[in-house]
Amino acid sequence: MIGFARAAGVAAISTVVLAGAAQAQTLTMAVGAPVTSIDPHYHNLSPNNAMADHIFDALTAFDPRARLTPGLAESWTPVDDSTWELRLRQGVRFHNGNDFTAEDVAFTLERVPNVPNSPSSFATFTRPIRSVEIVDPHTIRLRTDGPYPLLPTDLASVRILDRETHQNATTEDFNAGRAAIGTGPFRFVAYRPGDRVELERNDAYWGQKPAWQRVSYRIITNNAARTAALLAGDVEFIDQVPTTDIERLRGDQRLSISEVVSLRVIYLALDHMREDGSPFVADNDGRPMTRNPLKDLRVRQALSMAIDRQAIVSRVMQDSAIPAGQFLPPGSYSRIPDYEPPRPDPERARRLLAEAGYPQGFRLTLHGPNDRYTNDARIIQAIGQMWTRIGVRTTVEAQPWTTFIARAGRQEFSAFLVGWGSASGEASSPLRALVASFDRERGWGASNRGRYSNPELDRVLEAALRELDDEKREKLLQEATRIAMDDVAIIPIHNQKNVWAMRRGLEHTARADELTRAQDVRPAAAR
Amino acid sequence: MSITTAGPAAAPAAAAKVETPFQRFVSEFAASKLALFGLAVFTMIALIAIFAPWIAPQNPYDLAQLDIMDGRLEPGARSGDGTMTYWLGTDDQGRDMLSGIMYGLRISLTVGAGSALIACVVGASLGLLAAYAGGRTDSAIMRLVDLQLSFPAILAALMILAFLGKGILNVVIALVLVEWAYYARTVRGSALVERRREYIEAAHCLALPTRRIIFRHLLPNCLPPLIVVMTMQVARAIALEATLSFLGLGVPITEPSLGLLIANGYEYMLSGKYWISFYPGIALLITIVSINLVGDHLRDVLNPRLKK
Repeated sequence: MIGFARAAGVAAISTVVLAGAAQAQTLTMAVGAPVTSIDPHYHNLSPNNAMADHIFDALTAFDPRARLTPGLAESWTPVDDSTWELRLRQGVRFHNGNDFTAEDVAFTLERVPNVPNSPSSFATFTRPIRSVEIVDPHTIRLRTDGPYPLLPTDLASVRILDRETHQNATTEDFNAGRAAIGTGPFRFVAYRPGDRVELERNDAYWGQKPAWQRVSYRIITNNAARTAALLAGDVEFIDQVPTTDIERLRGDQRLSISEVVSLRVIYLALDHMREDGSPFVADNDGRPMTRNPLKDLRVRQALSMAIDRQAIVSRVMQDSAIPAGQFLPPGSYSRIPDYEPPRPDPERARRLLAEAGYPQGFRLTLHGPNDRYTNDARIIQAIGQMWTRIGVRTTVEAQPWTTFIARAGRQEFSAFLVGWGSASGEASSPLRALVASFDRERGWGASNRGRYSNPELDRVLEAALRELDDEKREKLLQEATRIAMDDVAIIPIHNQKNVWAMRRGLEHTARADELTRAQDVRPAAAR
Repeated sequence: MSITTAGPAAAPAAAAKVETPFQRFVSEFAASKLALFGLAVFTMIALIAIFAPWIAPQNPYDLAQLDIMDGRLEPGARSGDGTMTYWLGTDDQGRDMLSGIMYGLRISLTVGAGSALIACVVGASLGLLAAYAGGRTDSAIMRLVDLQLSFPAILAALMILAFLGKGILNVVIALVLVEWAYYARTVRGSALVERRREYIEAAHCLALPTRRIIFRHLLPNCLPPLIVVMTMQVARAIALEATLSFLGLGVPITEPSLGLLIANGYEYMLSGKYWISFYPGIALLITIVSINLVGDHLRDVLNPRLKK
């Protein structure tokens, strides 16, 4: 009897193992943000770029830590100050068997700016290119106006299409699948907008082949529903795990979590524009002030020093963030090593306020969105507590993102919380957008909503953007970052973490650029 | 349900001495134990709300008194500095839930009673005007009432708040705009009946000024249904304010009302931190039920058709 039971048990176990092996060929995953198109040049949006990475390849690529690695180009070198030469990978084929050549690169660069009705164009990545010269089928030269060190980085966002296949392909052709042909690790099978994308493995892929024969890439935008789908076993892998659920998912034996510090920094912007009084700053009796205290470096230092970033990270963010003292997280190119956020010191903050002439502090309204960043409204309340403790009596106002960002862009606020994701993984992106002097024509300071301006910083940044040598450029970017941070141009709070959850038995390489891709998921190595 | 018992109880008393209408009303009301219980509970809630600044362990609206390190503590936990006990736990900002509920009741009752009162004044005036003036004025006002009532209250309030922006005052304005129509319709109905009565005719014959006829003769006789509608509308306004705050359109996040406290805790429900939503929800429930108990019985007592 016992022998029979044991035999039955063994049989049952082997069935489970076999079922597991068969299952391992298919991956069902759910993402929180909808894919809006399969056309890789239509809408520059993280979920679309993540999907495009399955089907297409670019000349260069980002590794999980957002450092540049070879893609369809094996190498890239500056020939002179305004010319980059790229050597293309040989023997690469598109899903329909066509060879990949320099002709395809030239065609792609021509198509990118000419996609009709693009809601957010990829043309920003190709605009610096003045002309294209095909040297031989696997060598191409790109010319720019003057030195442009960011070209290889920009090219990571330009997915390569086939000249023959995509000559007249429209965005609809991609969405319908007729034109969804690339060189990537997966072939396109089906796309149902708002519901799912079906993929199958490209067995002729030039790089590391993915572990999955088939992938069902589902879109579940509701946070609770996505978590529930994982708990119920309907899907095996989800992204954008809400912080309120992390604690519970961590405690679940059937699941595991993967996370990585993202390139998104959450920070406070301050009104640097007005000299005499700021709209949401008042003295202790509620009267408007005659000078703007935020113009005083000591006041800005005090405000930054008052914030206990570790408390926000552990209590509000449930450890799905790390405290930030600059734009980029550890491990990024052009981050200043050993430049830590100021230690929370309310006593010293109060002394600094007194030195600046505000021994009794003042009143301030801190604004922020309530539906954009993880726990945004909770973070500003916590900061309100900390500022009130050093004598800056803070009122907190959270608004829906669309209203909030329009008002912030019109310089209506005195202090407000926003975030910035440095897609290129290096400091030139936040430096140019957030703290460089506002200049519409050059495209500088486009998101510098506090209108911080420092000629010294502009000069160093300008030099960095013309430096082709990676090491020298890194030094210059670090110097510019240091100028901005020493001057408290903005108050960085934390770098968000991206969190994924999956059933136990899967392994995931978490990416700093937030992209959720099936090729980063594998069955865990047997132990 | 209580009238049948109230009738015989009131009859011997009436035989003993002549009762004023108010005395009769009080004795009839007191006949229902349930209504008395509702009134007692409501009185207690109102007292807590009024005296919250003196009896609450913490001022939950003063950011300096909150400590993020005390966030999401369980009911009965001690604060990090050991100075106080959070009997009902804390929310994500380290706000004492007991204090938060006391202050939240303050907002709920102020908004509820305030908006109901203003809506009553506005609605009753317009209703009386419509009934007394008749003709085009009547049609105009009543079509406006129809228009107002054709929108679901929550939808109309959402639209008004989207236009006005957040804030307690704006919530009151929105609730008044949503609710005045109920009063107008009720008052017009009873005023139409009353104005054909002999005492109004008599007043006309005495050539009393119109204002005096409306406010001294017509209005007092339309009051009973108005009082009933008002108690019901107070409860409705409190629920509506909680709904608006829950949806993030009501009060500022640093001055949470009951609805916002519930919304704050809602996201933690899956993580087992029930108390952030649960206790404010219970407080809201008790408040609304107690008002409705009183209101239901008032309707029975004040409705002449139910009298034997």
